[in-house]
Amino acid sequence: MKEKVITIFFTIIIFGIALLGLIIKDQDISLVERRKLTSISTLKEDFSQNLDKYLTDQLPFRNQLLTLSNIFNRYILKNSEYKKVYLKDDYIFEKLYPLDEKSIYNFINKLNHIKATYLEKSNCFYAIIPDKSYFLDGYKYLTINYDALFNLLDKELEVDGINIRDLVTINDYYKTDIHLKQPSYFKIIDRISPYFGFSSRSINYQENVYDSFYGSSYYKVPFHTKEHLVYLTNEILTQAHVKHLEYNDNYVYKLEALSSSDAYNVFLSGPSGFIELENTMPNNDNELIIFRDSFASSLAPLLLPYYKKITLIDLRYISMDLVSKYVDFTDKDVLFLYSTLIVNNSYILK
Amino acid sequence: MVFSSISFLFFFLPLLLLVYFLSPKKSRNYILLLFSIFFYYMGDKRYVILLLGTCFINYILGILIEKHKSKFFLNIGLFLNIGLLFYYKYINFFLETFINIFNFNSVTLNIILPLGISFFTFQNLSYLIDVYRKDVKAQTNFFTYATYITLFPQLIAGPIVRYKDVVAQLNKRNETLKLFSSGVTRFIIGLAKKVLIADTIYHMYTNILAANMSALSYLLVAIGFTLQIYYDFSGYSDMAIGLGKMFGFSFKENFNYPLIASSITDFWRRWHMSLSSFFKDYVYIPLGGNRCSLKKNIRNIFIVWLLTGLWHGASWNFIIWGLYFFVFLLLEKFVLKRYLKKGIISHIYTFIIVLISFVIFSIEDIKSIGIFLKGLLGIATPLVNKESIYFLSNNFILILVALIGISPYLKDKLNILKKGTLKTVIDGIEVAYVFVIFILVIASIVSSSFNPFIYFRF
Repeated sequence: MKEKVITIFFTIIIFGIALLGLIIKDQDISLVERRKLTSISTLKEDFSQNLDKYLTDQLPFRNQLLTLSNIFNRYILKNSEYKKVYLKDDYIFEKLYPLDEKSIYNFINKLNHIKATYLEKSNCFYAIIPDKSYFLDGYKYLTINYDALFNLLDKELEVDGINIRDLVTINDYYKTDIHLKQPSYFKIIDRISPYFGFSSRSINYQENVYDSFYGSSYYKVPFHTKEHLVYLTNEILTQAHVKHLEYNDNYVYKLEALSSSDAYNVFLSGPSGFIELENTMPNNDNELIIFRDSFASSLAPLLLPYYKKITLIDLRYISMDLVSKYVDFTDKDVLFLYSTLIVNNSYILK
Repeated sequence: MVFSSISFLFFFLPLLLLVYFLSPKKSRNYILLLFSIFFYYMGDKRYVILLLGTCFINYILGILIEKHKSKFFLNIGLFLNIGLLFYYKYINFFLETFINIFNFNSVTLNIILPLGISFFTFQNLSYLIDVYRKDVKAQTNFFTYATYITLFPQLIAGPIVRYKDVVAQLNKRNETLKLFSSGVTRFIIGLAKKVLIADTIYHMYTNILAANMSALSYLLVAIGFTLQIYYDFSGYSDMAIGLGKMFGFSFKENFNYPLIASSITDFWRRWHMSLSSFFKDYVYIPLGGNRCSLKKNIRNIFIVWLLTGLWHGASWNFIIWGLYFFVFLLLEKFVLKRYLKKGIISHIYTFIIVLISFVIFSIEDIKSIGIFLKGLLGIATPLVNKESIYFLSNNFILILVALIGISPYLKDKLNILKKGTLKTVIDGIEVAYVFVIFILVIASIVSSSFNPFIYFRF
């Protein structure tokens, strides 16, 4: 009896999955993994090399099996870290470890070079947003030595710093995404405003709530729940002009992105090397230039009421040589705003 | 193609099972041969001709050795097989050593090691020697001989199956439901050892090595090396034996709980048994074994362990690894034997010696081995740091399960229970257990291809 059961089960599983694989239509993309899946056309290129990739990517029940593996590692083997992600109090943390001193020095050298070459006549500061792991217990989870990182930046950067890390708490972040919630930037604006000579006055915003937000880390933990994403609008933002260097898009908030696999792209349409935000109802002629990563996408709209124009430069997608052809830095306010994720992995900056 | 891959589990294996069991018995060797060649092609398409060429040459040499009862043809066979292995596996190592000694300009030949060459060369060698010794008759059917050499379950990672052990099954075998289901169980257990334990432990120690180290970290890595090598290799042997059973073959066991051995001598009776017995039968005994002077006996042991080290890889750490065992085997033979009874101290002694051996095995660079061993002893390294505590607590269950699995304790207990009134219940649990771990294995294989991107870029 035992022999029969084993043989039948085994046969059903291997033949059943193989047959289903033949019947079920191939998927082009994996929303869970946020990538393109290997297609059957790759077999023509190199059958022996690509067969396994193709069959593994297109295996029936792939997403369910990924979830099962996640559960097994996280809840049976009690491994708090799975696929470089921690889960604590419903918050998903992308692991940042080890501290990469070379990367930090690379970051410092890059900023110092930009400062020395282009920003001698600018009012220039830097601020670093800690990633979520900053709030984890370093003994229970593997995290970088944040004090060492911040001390190194304070010591070596030839740009004055604005400390904002004491302002944020874990509640300021999305649970399923690496970023800060947009309303959390108000206290950061309060902190930086004196450095740039404006006073953060009370500006009225309308709070728009999207209640089905799945952040970029959402699928890395099984059975997580969706959360709210708030984006703030007002007359200034509605009337603002937005110009991307790489593509035509005129959205401060690209609402169609909310239902995409990268809902955070609602802010300024997502990754872009060069964006100009123009305030059509300015009360001064001041301009701000932000060297930034994706965190600034949700901050910049809230700074627009204080400026006539804000230029956002993401050096991951555009080189400084190219930027210098489009931007005159003289007498401008300049803010380097980066997260610790970039500082510890600065090689992606051009 | 490896057994622990989706292409093997859901493409190669079902297709082979379907074609094999729908074919008449007389054509099944041909089916196995064709699929085995395809299996090898999927792993290393460059050397399919080499594999089949060596099969053909050894097949002809076997016939010539038998016909002419001539040592000449045996010597040709030994020269060709060992020469081939030397060329592909060792020539760069010896060139490099020669160049370093005489300070010549560096020369490296661009040679890629053919998949499984160490295994199929040893099988060819054992066949020729056995024919010469008249232990077996030469195979007259090339396709049967090629099926023996290329048989996919043991082709690329052993065990080293001897011709005389399977010749009867090559000619006639009975594929039964009992053998098939026993093969399925064994195959799944092997898969679980490889995928759920060995691969997970591999990730554990690579993560530890990338973090700040302490003596505890080094200890965890050393335990990781040992457990990973054991579960990987014995898991592969289990899969090979299980697959063999599915197609009616009975391969000899290759591992017998080596990590609970009570001495190094005992360890080598339990670890990679097909290799140890190869060296015993084809090197140690022909050299005179222990039926000679003490001096010659020590020389024979030295040669066997030098070759054992070299067989594992063309690198100094493998030679040191082999000679390390030579030293302990001699120590046991002449000094420690009387102290090593089956007590806990003997097991701890053996485990520690084996643990250190796998540090030497796993680290190619000699200087790095020294640094590692210093770290293990806590020299110029903190005893504990937050990283090591983190890794220990995060991998505690994995290590515990892996350590429990190195002993037959649970299996023995189950076998006792099976003999009683609980047999049906235990059988039911066993079936459920096998299929739960099979599903987990599939999930883990899929998960190893999980490759998420922070930014959604198509």
